[in-house]
Amino acid sequence: MSTRSSARSTHCFVKNTILLAATLLLAACAKPASDAPTSTAPAAASASPAPHASNPARDNSAEVAAYYKAHPDFFVFKAPADLPPGLSWTDGGPLPELGSPARKRGGTWQGRIQDFPRTLRILGPDSNSGFRTYLQDDIFLKFGQLHPDVAGPHRFFPGVASQWAVDLPAKTVYVRIDPAARWSDGPAVTSDDVLFMFWLNQSTYIQAPWYNNFYGIGENYTRITRYDDLTFAITLKDARPDLLSRVLELTPTPSHFYREVGEDYVTRYNWRFAPTTGAYILTDNELKRTATNRNHISFERLPNWWANDKVQFRYRFNPAQIRLRVIRETTTAWESFLAGDLDAFGMNLAEYNYERLPDNAPLVTRGLIAKSTFYNDIPRPNYGLWMNTARPLLSEREVRLGIQYASNWALVIAQYFRGDYTRLNTPSEGFGDMSHPTLRARSFDLALAAEHFAKAGFTKRGPDGILVNAAGQRLSVTLTSGYESLAPVLTILQQEARKAGLDFQVEILDASAAWKKVQEKNHDITFSAFNVGVELFPRYWENYHSVNAYDQPYLPDGTTPNPVRKPKVQTNNLQSLAIPEIDALITRYDTSENLDEMRVMARKMEEIFYDEASFSPGFVMPFYRIATWRWVHFPENFNARFSTDALEQNVHWLDESQKPGTLAARRDDSKAFPSSVRTYDQWKPKE
Amino acid sequence: MSFLPNPITRKKLRRFRSLRRGYWSFLLLVALVLFACVAELFINHRALAVRHDGRWFFPTYGAMLPGKTFGLDYEWETDYRDLRARLHPHASADATTLATAAAARARGDFILLPVVPFNPIENCYAGQYFKPRAPDLAQRHFLGTDTQNRDILGRLVYGFRHALIFSVWFVAGVYGLGIILGCAMGYYGGTFDLLVQRLIEIWSNIPFLYIVIIVASLIKPGLGWLVAINVAFGWMGLTYYMRTETYKEKARDYVAAARVLGASDSRIILHHILPNTAATLVTFVPFTVAGAIGSLTALDFLGFGLPVPTPSWGELLSQGTKQLTLAPWIVLSAFSAMTLVLILVTFVGEAVREAFDPKKFTLYR
Repeated sequence: MSTRSSARSTHCFVKNTILLAATLLLAACAKPASDAPTSTAPAAASASPAPHASNPARDNSAEVAAYYKAHPDFFVFKAPADLPPGLSWTDGGPLPELGSPARKRGGTWQGRIQDFPRTLRILGPDSNSGFRTYLQDDIFLKFGQLHPDVAGPHRFFPGVASQWAVDLPAKTVYVRIDPAARWSDGPAVTSDDVLFMFWLNQSTYIQAPWYNNFYGIGENYTRITRYDDLTFAITLKDARPDLLSRVLELTPTPSHFYREVGEDYVTRYNWRFAPTTGAYILTDNELKRTATNRNHISFERLPNWWANDKVQFRYRFNPAQIRLRVIRETTTAWESFLAGDLDAFGMNLAEYNYERLPDNAPLVTRGLIAKSTFYNDIPRPNYGLWMNTARPLLSEREVRLGIQYASNWALVIAQYFRGDYTRLNTPSEGFGDMSHPTLRARSFDLALAAEHFAKAGFTKRGPDGILVNAAGQRLSVTLTSGYESLAPVLTILQQEARKAGLDFQVEILDASAAWKKVQEKNHDITFSAFNVGVELFPRYWENYHSVNAYDQPYLPDGTTPNPVRKPKVQTNNLQSLAIPEIDALITRYDTSENLDEMRVMARKMEEIFYDEASFSPGFVMPFYRIATWRWVHFPENFNARFSTDALEQNVHWLDESQKPGTLAARRDDSKAFPSSVRTYDQWKPKE
Repeated sequence: MSFLPNPITRKKLRRFRSLRRGYWSFLLLVALVLFACVAELFINHRALAVRHDGRWFFPTYGAMLPGKTFGLDYEWETDYRDLRARLHPHASADATTLATAAAARARGDFILLPVVPFNPIENCYAGQYFKPRAPDLAQRHFLGTDTQNRDILGRLVYGFRHALIFSVWFVAGVYGLGIILGCAMGYYGGTFDLLVQRLIEIWSNIPFLYIVIIVASLIKPGLGWLVAINVAFGWMGLTYYMRTETYKEKARDYVAAARVLGASDSRIILHHILPNTAATLVTFVPFTVAGAIGSLTALDFLGFGLPVPTPSWGELLSQGTKQLTLAPWIVLSAFSAMTLVLILVTFVGEAVREAFDPKKFTLYR
């Protein structure tokens, strides 16, 4: 389970905040690591790590075998002859190849991380950090990989798997592992690594409840069947349209490496590098070096990587080394970039794109640094105001409508985002035709705001200009947020809302404290967003089903609101919505196996949400920007449609022969190269 | 009790006045404080005086006046800068606008805006994107604007006001607690003294910054909360001075005499000991104020201070350091203002200390 497709959860909010740091602060995501463990020396990254003095050798083979035996319905062992006849095996068919044959191999990619990682584990405490990108997300080969340019449910190309077959009625996906697939330390990838993946992720040793739950028996997966070393099948609970991605996007787990997993997994494996199916590894020497020197960490490209000449991989993962320097401050990183010590810098923040390195800066006009803007087409984080309809004032629809019209998102976009961003229209945008095609968010309109507030009884203005009703109640609501870096957004909304006679009491808390308050449903309105990976269709149950709003939402008749219901805490229904019609639609939607039927239901639900008016859609960043030194190259017309940054596809390459000349030209104003300021807008949303 | 007519006190004040550096600093500081108190008259989005249709309005203090008061078509607060622009349109405006304005002026319509016609939390470049702008006298941004198009002078002055309010409450709190506990420790001594000393030792070891971070992450700390937290961890130092002073004074003959005359403990403490320790206390006040301003700024700088969009020096400094190369005027303004005020306070403090130096006045010379 990659972090990108992880479900919406608290976990996700934290990730979201981190994503925000990445997208808006141009910073690689990481938590402040003030107390990186120092006591544990990194163990060797070899297959069977030398037993450490404090880590006596252990072999969990027997325990694992016993676990398989104890769950015979989940872990099933069969012979190749048992494979159902008539399966139609496929390798996804021809898809455009990623990368460019013109690429050059070699060179060292100079990157930056904000903190030295607190662990090299990819599971368990502290593992969901920005460093995981390099350990797993962008590097690791899954069974099948989503093609980043092709839309639709069947756009996989082979990674570790060579072929797969879907048996929809049986809710099962059959997979053949590529016989060439090797772990970075030598052994072949086998079906045992898939069974073991379930054991590890179900084990409590890893201290990762979210994974325990996701991989739990019967939760999403109901069976894993081993046919032979290279053939297995996974059966799911439901045959949803995204069935294939639920299996192919799983990551095999090197069982030989995790033989020592036990109670002390978290400490024992903290500084071990797990063998990978991808191209980059941390060598034993590097692990030894970083035990004492944590200024940087370098990944080496495997000299004889098994997928080196494989289609879709042969033009990618080009640098020979990825060197990540620890630079805590963004402004320091920026200076390093300008000095040529970093190869690239994210330019999403307007300040960097327009002030620090405008298009007419000498470094750009003289062609030393290239600026690129890539529009993408992915599910959008739904930034906006989530109004808690369980709160006194906000329970009234007219008040909510008034707030919709009193929220000046257009000004936020114009002033704070300099017109680069666009307005979010529905809470589920970026799902292609699964998103509602015509609904448009309500624009700032003081007359309409006044009209709706008046209908709710707020007609007179108090001495401070805020509306009051006949009972003397002020039209004042608290606006809670954990996005400290987006405080100006809230200030703009606050100032503009005053014109409508609405008082937003802005409350900016620490990210986790804000989330806690929201999860306990103690908020009036929260400004936040859920981050979604690239998925086929939006999810509704978590955010909109009444079971996530109240303990007993309705009276026994099933439709009348229960007058004494209590808000349900620790759920993601931030609007406390309890609408019987929505509940019914979600239930059907979540069991539907037909995408067309789901589309109709999704649109119907979006229309109901629009009428409820409890979510004021904010903004969308429809692109990402990057500045790169002249020696960094991308394929011609490269622009991955489903991507969140320019580097995640690893199609870039370095031409280190250009580096000395470019750096010399930095100090010599007379030297110039062709300048490159490009916008790749083939995936720009059509207005 | 009252110590003003006391000849020694008068002598001290004369001495203070003769220390020119401290005295002038004191006068300047008082002027700054008075200015901050009436800052609305100089830096504010509201007009000082408006005459409209023969009626006078003074909007600076009091309830907000909606636009329709002045014949504009909106219910929210009047945009006085816009009102002024309507009354005094640019020469290049179209003929109707000019004629309307001339007619209004002929009717006696009048508007007077403050020197800096912006409040510290408003975006001064409506509709334009956020970007720090350099000082611009024509636009009345004497120190430029910050990253959110807000007037820096306004933020400095109102930030100073918040710092002052904070200091006043902080000093009151710290002195209140410090004097009461310190006096009690010194006067009663014994077990009580021992216990409170141990309490102080334990209390002093609680990391103040962590507490602030934790509290700031759980609630939205307003000024009151910040004062409370700072006082809660700032009162200990003064108790020791009060304790020793009280111990010392308690042993003097006049205290014994008062006791023999039958004075109660409270009378002895309030009427005899406290006035004689006042000199020590007074000399600490300026430094406590400087410390308070410093710590509020530091907390704001770290993001644990006053809630947005409250103007504050720390917030300006933090913006300024991030914009060091792009907008140096932000950090320069905030830094200069802070240095100036802290230097003034310190000068005053030094002068007070010298003027109140017991070596010059003591009878036991």
